[in-house]
Amino acid sequence: MKRSLIIAAIAAGLVVAPLHAATDAEVEARRVALELAGAFSNDGFKLRDGVCAGTVEPGKPKIVQVNLYAGNEYWFSLAASGKAKKVAVTVFDEIGRKIDAEPYQEGVTAAAGFSPDASGPYLVKVEVVEGGPSAFCLLYSYK
Amino acid sequence: MILNLRTLAGSLALVCLCASAAGQGASLTKDEIADAIRTDDFSIPMPAELMAALEKQGKLDWSAMFRPPIPTNYPNRAQLALNLGSLVADGFIAVQAEDSRQVINLGKDIIQLAKNLGVPKDILTRSSSISDFAERKQWDQLKEELEATQNEVKEAMHGSKDSDLVTLVSVGGWARGMDVISNYISAHYSETSAKILRQPGIVQYLNRKLDSLPDKLHDDPKVKNVRMKTMQMEMIVSFPRDKAPELADVKKLSELATELVKEISQKEK
Repeated sequence: MKRSLIIAAIAAGLVVAPLHAATDAEVEARRVALELAGAFSNDGFKLRDGVCAGTVEPGKPKIVQVNLYAGNEYWFSLAASGKAKKVAVTVFDEIGRKIDAEPYQEGVTAAAGFSPDASGPYLVKVEVVEGGPSAFCLLYSYK
Repeated sequence: MILNLRTLAGSLALVCLCASAAGQGASLTKDEIADAIRTDDFSIPMPAELMAALEKQGKLDWSAMFRPPIPTNYPNRAQLALNLGSLVADGFIAVQAEDSRQVINLGKDIIQLAKNLGVPKDILTRSSSISDFAERKQWDQLKEELEATQNEVKEAMHGSKDSDLVTLVSVGGWARGMDVISNYISAHYSETSAKILRQPGIVQYLNRKLDSLPDKLHDDPKVKNVRMKTMQMEMIVSFPRDKAPELADVKKLSELATELVKEISQKEK
């Protein structure tokens, strides 16, 4: 049900209208990221309506701040489209220490899941591990 | 010589691989943390996330947190934006309470406020889908619909002359969320639930955005008052990671948030 809603939302262009005309690569990255996040919805995770999207180059990761609540579980889903062959998503606490998250990695998709032990800011790093510059889309689900 | 070059190239490749692997696992630098991307629609959580965290502490009586209807026709655009955010938070409370009638009424008020802000007509059609989901008691879909409505209104504001008002929508939603949650925690205090109130990243982000508003908005009496309150609230929600705020602090936070939400919704006489 949830997955069909997500697909319908993509089709209708309802998932956060971008400020600029999205490129084909950006649209593809968003589609794949939503598909990946859809898998977590089967476990009761709710997809947050909002994405972080743009381009990422090898050696120039993007770091995004999020604010999370202790008690919730989170999955960060990343997809890239372009010259990337392998991407990674890593979560850090507010002072930059790496969080031991449950990893998922499959080519141009990656995900990290964890339950914060403290509420507050966290940082999510998005990077191209192999390949070239690509459009990316990062989103998260919670329960 | 060729062999030596091969050995050197091999060693360099190994160093690069190790550096790459280390890069994935290493800590972030202060500069990386300071330069992190912070956006309104990704870095600021929706009220539903806060409510989900609180629900882990036990079943809550969300309907006890309803408030009387507020006006939808403020003459001041800043006030319209602040109240739009707070009404969306009310929408989440009504969904959490699984109260169809309340959701439908709030959906209409949200759309009316958005209309008064001059939001394009196509977004306003969401009112009917909110009603449809509410009548069918599709609570998860309603949460998604409320999030999407708020995000689309913000996107429409970004695309028009009103991009500065987006911050006020976020502040209004955050304030109403804090009002409800801190009230609940002060009445049912436990260290675990009080730790949910730790939100330095959110309030610092919102305060920075409020400080960077253009003079006309920044000097608006309602906005000035909001800024004073959020400055006081920032001190309370910025406690250390491993500690819980004391009951007195939670009560103070609750008072500030309640006053803030009341002042936002009061019409000037």
